[in-house]
Amino acid sequence: MVFNKKELTAEPVVEFSPGKDPYIKSRKKGATRWILAHLFHGSNKFFIIIIIFTIILSANLSSIIYIIIGQTISALLSGLTALLGNYILSLFILGITGPILRIVSRMLIETLAQRTERDARKEFFTNLLGKSQSFHEQMKIGELMARVTDDVRMLNFLISPALSLIVESFTYLFIPVIYIILYYPFQLIIEPIFFSISFLILLRSYSRKIGPITGRLRGNFGSMTATLSETLSGIEVVKATVQEEKEMKKYYKHAKNYKEAFIERGKLQAKYLPILVLALVITAGFTHSVVLFNNGLMNIGQIIAFLGILGLLRFPTNISMFVFAIFRLAGSSADRLLELMNKKTEINENKEGKEIVFEGNITFENVEFIYPGSKTPVLKDISFEVQAGQTVAIVGTTGSGKTTLTKLISRLYDVSNGRILVDGNDIRDYSLQSLRDQISYIEQDVFLFSTTIFDNISFGRVSSLEQVINVAQQAQVHDFISELPEEYQSKVGERGVQLSGGERQRIAIARAFLSDPRILILDDSTSAIDSNTEDKIQFAIKNILKNRTTILITHRLSQIRWADLILVLKNGEIVAKGNHEELLKTSEEYRKIFVKKFDIEEDQLLKEVRK
Amino acid sequence: MWVGLEAEEYDRKYQDKDLLKRIISYFSPYKRAMILVIFFLSISSLTTAFQPIITSIIISNLETSPDLIFILFLILIIFIFNISSWVFNYIRQIYSTRVIGSVVLDIRKDAHKSVVNHDLSFFDKNPIGKIVSRINTDSRDFGETVELSIEVISSVVVLTILIIVMFTVDVVLTFVLLISLPLFFVAAMSFRKFARKMTLLGQRALASVNAYTKESFSGIQIAKTFRREKKVYDDFLQVNNQSYKVNLKRAFLLNAIFPTLGLIQGFVTMLLILMGSILVTEGFVGVGELVLFIQSISLLFFPLLIIASFWPMFQTGMAASERIFAIIDTLPLVIQTNNIKPSKLKGEIEFKNLTFQYDKGRLIFDNFSLKVNPGESIALVGHTGAGKSSIAKLIARFYEFQSGDILVDGKSIREYDLTEYRKHIGIIPQTPFLWADTVENNIKYGDENASMEDVMHALEISGGSEWVKNLPEGLKTNVRERGSLLSMGQRQLVVFARVLLENPSILILDEATASVDPFTETQIQDALEKTIKGRSSIIIAHRLWTVRRVDRIIVLDHGKIMEEGNHEELMKRGGTYANLYNTYFRHQSLEYIEKMGKN
Repeated sequence: MVFNKKELTAEPVVEFSPGKDPYIKSRKKGATRWILAHLFHGSNKFFIIIIIFTIILSANLSSIIYIIIGQTISALLSGLTALLGNYILSLFILGITGPILRIVSRMLIETLAQRTERDARKEFFTNLLGKSQSFHEQMKIGELMARVTDDVRMLNFLISPALSLIVESFTYLFIPVIYIILYYPFQLIIEPIFFSISFLILLRSYSRKIGPITGRLRGNFGSMTATLSETLSGIEVVKATVQEEKEMKKYYKHAKNYKEAFIERGKLQAKYLPILVLALVITAGFTHSVVLFNNGLMNIGQIIAFLGILGLLRFPTNISMFVFAIFRLAGSSADRLLELMNKKTEINENKEGKEIVFEGNITFENVEFIYPGSKTPVLKDISFEVQAGQTVAIVGTTGSGKTTLTKLISRLYDVSNGRILVDGNDIRDYSLQSLRDQISYIEQDVFLFSTTIFDNISFGRVSSLEQVINVAQQAQVHDFISELPEEYQSKVGERGVQLSGGERQRIAIARAFLSDPRILILDDSTSAIDSNTEDKIQFAIKNILKNRTTILITHRLSQIRWADLILVLKNGEIVAKGNHEELLKTSEEYRKIFVKKFDIEEDQLLKEVRK
Repeated sequence: MWVGLEAEEYDRKYQDKDLLKRIISYFSPYKRAMILVIFFLSISSLTTAFQPIITSIIISNLETSPDLIFILFLILIIFIFNISSWVFNYIRQIYSTRVIGSVVLDIRKDAHKSVVNHDLSFFDKNPIGKIVSRINTDSRDFGETVELSIEVISSVVVLTILIIVMFTVDVVLTFVLLISLPLFFVAAMSFRKFARKMTLLGQRALASVNAYTKESFSGIQIAKTFRREKKVYDDFLQVNNQSYKVNLKRAFLLNAIFPTLGLIQGFVTMLLILMGSILVTEGFVGVGELVLFIQSISLLFFPLLIIASFWPMFQTGMAASERIFAIIDTLPLVIQTNNIKPSKLKGEIEFKNLTFQYDKGRLIFDNFSLKVNPGESIALVGHTGAGKSSIAKLIARFYEFQSGDILVDGKSIREYDLTEYRKHIGIIPQTPFLWADTVENNIKYGDENASMEDVMHALEISGGSEWVKNLPEGLKTNVRERGSLLSMGQRQLVVFARVLLENPSILILDEATASVDPFTETQIQDALEKTIKGRSSIIIAHRLWTVRRVDRIIVLDHGKIMEEGNHEELMKRGGTYANLYNTYFRHQSLEYIEKMGKN
């Protein structure tokens, strides 16, 4: 059989990858495998070996301390004071080495935990960067932030304290047994063995219950917060419609759910049986050793040491009560991270694709678009043609598919059916780099990075101050920038550099002048209030339109008016197409805008058009 | 990046005594349960404390004259103590979680009630995030502090009993044991100081990761279209590594504390055995007694730890409770002086020599007078800060004015019952706010019992219901957070329907400045025309076409009426309005559009 090697090693195509991704396979295999892949990645393996070694060593030391205490007491009782000095000296040494060993293991564990957090965050962030725009449009930023910080941090908590404490607990459960076998009558292992078994059984059922309750408590707290935030965001509506009572009841319901989960968790923790079992086992061990003492098989020193060793079991018993809840939380955090990372990204970069300089002819051929995971198409049977240098205005209600349509051109999404041609070639045949280099996009709500205005304009290209000033002038924003405290070096978002929507938009236009794309997509659904700004925006836009193909989403009647082609979109379909005069004749809806807005009689408008 | 640590305005300092009194008053409804908690807490601590004492008696007995029956009897007592200690603790914990859960709930309810009933000036001063964190998180922290306090009380009981018994057994050994106390506290305290600093740094580092993530993915589209992912990635690595380094340091520090305390414990054990050995060989104490001391070390270790970590946490809890009480105790500024419940308003509004300011020294109205006749529609026009919105907010009783009066149907609005009065006022805010609920429930928000016909009717009047049918689930479509599923224009139509359903006598409309596509715009315009008919309407105008349709235009400037009249009159006059029209609204005129279009 011949294997197609390429297929076997085929990795999902991403838009960005800075290097090798060592966790890629484990991501597909679920949270446990993924976390393990992180744990055993690179030098982490050696950390784990050393950690386990130090933990075992310190559990041994703890047991030995009690043996020596027992021997000291025996020596005291029998009057053999010669060895006392040695005993006390070794106690002293053990008393120091124990904590030091523990410090070493804690540091190693922490390093491992923090490394995992760092690496997982890096992996997650890189993965997000490689996702297509369609992915990012569906994500809320707040949600991404919660994943990058809180969920990744849970992996840290999973290692320290949860996993490390569990390793420690289990060591403390079994090491003491070895010393009992070595130093005392063999039958004394009944008690610790009995405890270990019943502890594991009880713990199993406890950990199954505590996880869900902790999860619920968290969830309830979240919904309590969400409700409250929503109420306060809409407080004006609450007051205006006099619904304070209703909002109080709503909040009360959530707060009560939280209280119930809180009490339930309290009950479960109160019922934690291992503590009782341990107390009984220690009493049984005490009785047992007294009986052996009576039969002459043990001395007092040994009884004391035995009790001390049994006391070591307290640590795993108490700590397990709290540790297991973390597993559940970390598990769901890892699931959430993987869910996002495993989402396919739809865009193929096509690095080997064509790279030519565009003229700017755009053709849509029966384009259909359906969002991944959805069934209803957002765009249906879209066909139109734009000659190089022309301006197309797209109008329609929000949700009619205007923005989606423009995003298909720069392949922020890929079409589901049909095709889009630029200069006669399917856009998927160009390399993504070359395609996007020649298309600029100015969004509706322009985002500026919190760096200097200069950097924001020159973003993506090396430019001189003269060039930047030149484009700023063309974009009608130079005067504004000159009045800022540090002019072009002013940092966006800082005191005094709070930019309005119109100013942001013009900075984006300046940026587009600088990159001088063949094709420009401009989402201009912002509205300006005062006429001066309005004039500036109109002039800036007019300037940028010259000599390039422009797709304009707009609410401004003036811009609709001057476009070479107007597309009226409704529910994802083109319901009317043509220039202003044509549309006034053919589209009733289009006509209505002018009639309503300017109190013109419909007949009169039609008459004027016909002239 | 690190904001929000400064005190807020409604903070007030409570005396510790008052604070405690206040806290106790929240616990007083649960007196019986609290008594049970304290009772079971004490006896379970007693049973814990007596176990090492009985053990040491047994050892002494074994040492001198082993009496098996007596020893087994003592072990039986330990056995019973163990079981009862667990049972007592169980009962105690059940009651205490119940009480804490209830008290936290009561506090949350009180705080929520107080916040919801505040006027809007409160929300201007206090950001929502902070209020939410006070009501939810501070109350949780407070509850945790109470839980911890209960543990501390139990630890103190155990500690006291043990120390008393040990003193009676041997003074020297007790002193040896007690020298660990100051060492312990000094170590714990000095660690805390550093830990706090490091934790703060760690949180800041993580906050910058957060901020960087926010920035990167807010601008992801630009980064993608300009293919600048590598730069974003490199910057992220830097931020992420910084967080790693700082948080690793923090973790190292925090993890050193327990082994260090263990070191003290080991040192004290050694000292105890050294001294004990001498005392035993000299015949001052028996081995049984020495065992009591050795066993007590580990029993003391845990309570000490709790106590050492208690004080700062206790302070945190007290501070948290103080913050919540401050919220509960802040008084609303809008107060009603009488409780007239109008069954119907005619809608006559009169401002009489009104003075109003949001903050001291920023006067909005000084001696302002205006009369609106029943059923009249007026439009307020003017620059930002002219006082247009303030008029609306004052009529809605969102803010309290300082002097003069506002009369509605001839009576001061202060005399009306706030709730009943507001039912007659319909407000359409500038930014439409929708709940994360269905379209239907959003329309019915002010009146849950409205029928489906009412809802459809309201929708029909407010520009037609056709667009709703195109939503995935029609009226039952959930519009998501703040109505994000709908366009701005659609949200406005929903708000119109909501207000129409209320059928208010007075309508206040703050026109949206946000852009709406021309198709929806015509729908909204239709809705507006229908809505203002037959009611007193006050429209804060940002757009040309509304201004033309009202009975009277009022031009405001810095809280003064400059001009009034209808569009034609004011244009003819060539004053402020004509000027305003030319700079604000000109670009919306047909002439302007035609001109721009042809260039």
